[in-house]
Amino acid sequence: MLFDKTNKIYIPIKYWENSIGRDKHCDIIVNSPMASRNHAVLFRREAGWFISDTNSKGGVFVNNKLIDSQEKLYVGDVITIGEMDFKLCKVKKSSKGKRFGRHLSLAACFPGVLMALITIFNTLATFLLCLSGENFNFAPMTNSLLITGLSWIYYFVARYGLRRTNFELEGLGIFLSGIGITICSSVNLQFAYTQVIAFGLGLLLFNFIVFFIKNPDFAMKCRPYIAYLAVILLLLNLVFGKVKNGSQNWILIGNFSIQPSEIVKVAFVFFGASTLKEIQTTRNLTGFIIFSCVCMGALFLMGDFGTACIFFVAFLVVAFVRSGSIRTLFLTVAAAGAGVGLILKFKPYIMERFAAWRHVWEHSADIGFQQTRVLSYSASGGLFGMGIGKGCLKYIFAAPSDLAFGMLCEEWGLILGYTVIITIALIGLYGGLIGVRSRCAFYSLASCGASGIMVFQMIMNVFGSVDLLPLTGVTLPFVSLGGSSLLGMWGLLAFIKSADERTYGLKK
Amino acid sequence: MRSIKVRLIMLYLIVLLFFLGLGFFSYELIIKSEKWVFSSVNRHLSQGRVSQGEILDRFGEVLACTRNGKRTYHEDINIRKALVHTVGDGSVLIPTSVQSRYAKELFGYSPIAGLGAPEIINMNKSITLSLDSKLCSKVSSSFKDKKGTALAYNYLNGEIICMVSLPNYDVENKPSFKIQTDDKLEGIYLNRALSSSYTPGSVFKLFTCAAALDSMEDVEAKKFFCSKIKIVDGEKVSCMKKHGNINLKDALSKSCDIVFCDIALELGKEKMIQKMEEMGFNSSISFENSKLSQSEYRLEEASQGDLGWSGIGQYKNTLNPMHMLRFMGAIANNGVCIEPHTVKSINLEGDEDTGEKLEVKTTLMLKPSTAQKIREMMRYTMKNQYGDKMFSPALMCAKTGTAEVGEGKLPHGWMVGFSYDASFPVAFVVVVENGDFGIKSAGPIASNMIKHLYSSFKNGKYF
Repeated sequence: MLFDKTNKIYIPIKYWENSIGRDKHCDIIVNSPMASRNHAVLFRREAGWFISDTNSKGGVFVNNKLIDSQEKLYVGDVITIGEMDFKLCKVKKSSKGKRFGRHLSLAACFPGVLMALITIFNTLATFLLCLSGENFNFAPMTNSLLITGLSWIYYFVARYGLRRTNFELEGLGIFLSGIGITICSSVNLQFAYTQVIAFGLGLLLFNFIVFFIKNPDFAMKCRPYIAYLAVILLLLNLVFGKVKNGSQNWILIGNFSIQPSEIVKVAFVFFGASTLKEIQTTRNLTGFIIFSCVCMGALFLMGDFGTACIFFVAFLVVAFVRSGSIRTLFLTVAAAGAGVGLILKFKPYIMERFAAWRHVWEHSADIGFQQTRVLSYSASGGLFGMGIGKGCLKYIFAAPSDLAFGMLCEEWGLILGYTVIITIALIGLYGGLIGVRSRCAFYSLASCGASGIMVFQMIMNVFGSVDLLPLTGVTLPFVSLGGSSLLGMWGLLAFIKSADERTYGLKK
Repeated sequence: MRSIKVRLIMLYLIVLLFFLGLGFFSYELIIKSEKWVFSSVNRHLSQGRVSQGEILDRFGEVLACTRNGKRTYHEDINIRKALVHTVGDGSVLIPTSVQSRYAKELFGYSPIAGLGAPEIINMNKSITLSLDSKLCSKVSSSFKDKKGTALAYNYLNGEIICMVSLPNYDVENKPSFKIQTDDKLEGIYLNRALSSSYTPGSVFKLFTCAAALDSMEDVEAKKFFCSKIKIVDGEKVSCMKKHGNINLKDALSKSCDIVFCDIALELGKEKMIQKMEEMGFNSSISFENSKLSQSEYRLEEASQGDLGWSGIGQYKNTLNPMHMLRFMGAIANNGVCIEPHTVKSINLEGDEDTGEKLEVKTTLMLKPSTAQKIREMMRYTMKNQYGDKMFSPALMCAKTGTAEVGEGKLPHGWMVGFSYDASFPVAFVVVVENGDFGIKSAGPIASNMIKHLYSSFKNGKYF
């Protein structure tokens, strides 16, 4: 809490990072003509409170000493901004209940119960799949048992090893991945095995990222290396990539094929977020723009327009949340529009791929083949579905990846199909909301970027398959078949997890 | 952090976009789901795993039903084969079958349950056909291994009692891919009664005759002359026999080609086309909830000789068997055709009494006076040319046709007719492809069918 010596009032500190300045959007508003619009940032790290000067005109004084860029604060220190003096003091006992983090003690829905429910759901769903054929087939159950086992191991490690209190995000991730693996099992058990492996790797990646960005200052130092790695991955993809389903976004390693662009998404969000150190201190925006252009350019060359779109939207989200400049936003969109226009002018055949859009029934034998089947079979399922494993859509090309929503609606019913996509939308919304309360602006931004990608990718996948948007062949987050995609999504989920202030704070 | 809170609007916009899209999709789903489900791309409709209502014949014989998740058909292989085109085989290959045309009713689709409604719900649904499955089976086997179609219906209430199309197959043992190469199986998925149009040959003279009666003054009293061969604009039109002086009634009875050639020439192209179109040619005729294959009468490129041939039922004319049956019904019923149909009632509730009786439509095809005159002429033909013994004890009116098809193949044999006796209100059409003379090929099949129908009618079986 700060004591405003001039006006003799107490100012509560609400966030982990607080902007100080004359601007009305600042968390602590200094009504002084000598203060800059964005003057300084008061923030908390593990070592204690710090204040950082964000290129203010007048400078920041701590105990009447002009600070360099950043200074550690102790209780009783006096901060001078403009002609105003603030004293850092402890929260009075009477107002204890109101200080930030008060809601930490609220137990989020009991993690154990959540896990048990998810396990029951996934087991039942797999059991129905086992029953769907002429005879009982136990094989899909092995996949289900594998992911259930992995999930519970992770659960115990997280609860009792890492002593985490919150488990909602992982719970939802496991729920969605479980549904995805059951869908894959119904099409081809081989697909499901790779998906299970990707799920295991995804959990590892998730925890690695959560651990890696625990100290944001250290993570930011790694920023350039991660960018290089991402660019190298994409270049390798361009050189050695195999053309599969119309786009050259696959690298074959032995029997495995991976899609580097899915992993680069994680790096992209990390890089975008790390350009903002503390709120108001922006740096290296140029770097981010160049990196974005390289990524999107590479994707365009590969012919993966869907993923390019997703990167673009992620760029918009991160750039806007970071700068708040609507002008930049419009300029970016206009520049991108012009760019796409130019590309279409010189390569008009690209448009042919999307010619069936909103006319799929006239092309039900060729380019509208998949969409018409999705519509017909989704409607056939009704609210409760034809029964798991009893669908027809699974025989259609790329069904478990591109048409996963259709398979859900057909076999599991519209209610479950909607539940899954609304869940993903709500994870995205949660990722944004939680960002406001996160421990550091880097987490907020990363969480927004990751949420933006998840929701937008889901929009592209779901609405592409039902012909509201052109079909681009991106995956449905967590659910679709695609090891790289599942891995990438768990990576992105880690950013949302990190934005939750409980992740690094509260220990059980 | 307050600034970030404001800027999150970007993310909210994306989420909002999602919910708007979802709302729009839900709207489309509600409005269009039925169209989507019953589109030809949906394999659920053809797999036989989704439960459907029952299909019964007029006596309640179960022709198709779903039991334990499997579509099963009548236990008698001959009945299964005879009715495969009417009932359908569960695939999309026979679009005119009841299972295809009444899929919406049989599948019991609802937006809530989709197609996944439990079997027990659909078990109570049924469609009752007016067909007599045993008669169909009998008629079908009387074709031996010839191709063709046979139809019989009650011209007073429109119920089709017999409809078979050959070749057929057993739905429990579907033909393999060799059908594309095997000539015997050519057009096996086609219900020839509904989806084919044949060269009519002499049965077309009934239409020419109707046109003459309508448009030529005192044509009945007119004396025509047949000298066996007639040259029209350098083209030869020939008759089977030299008939000499002959009137219309005898010309029809003896099937004199020269007379009908003369009538066509006298009426001229325009009049002929106009009269034929009035009687249903060159337009698609509705049959229940589908369309018949079109009967064609086109003279755009025809010479005078061709016009003459067209009056005899040769040239490029084609005639759909169900169209012919309607015409027979109209002649028998004073010019009004009671539209033939196979579906007697649709029962969606499982309660016999509430079964929806389908509305019977009627079409005026001929002037009543014209219809009566042709009826008498056809009676005269029957009595004098074919002999009443053929259909005994039924008193019939009939006409045969032998349609030359060229290519060194035997002609198609036709026999069409109806009962003269209103207490036995049956009209029939039999076509035997490459069967040679109508009386020789189609005659015995028609005779068999009518005798069976007559005894059933007289026993009160059809009431």
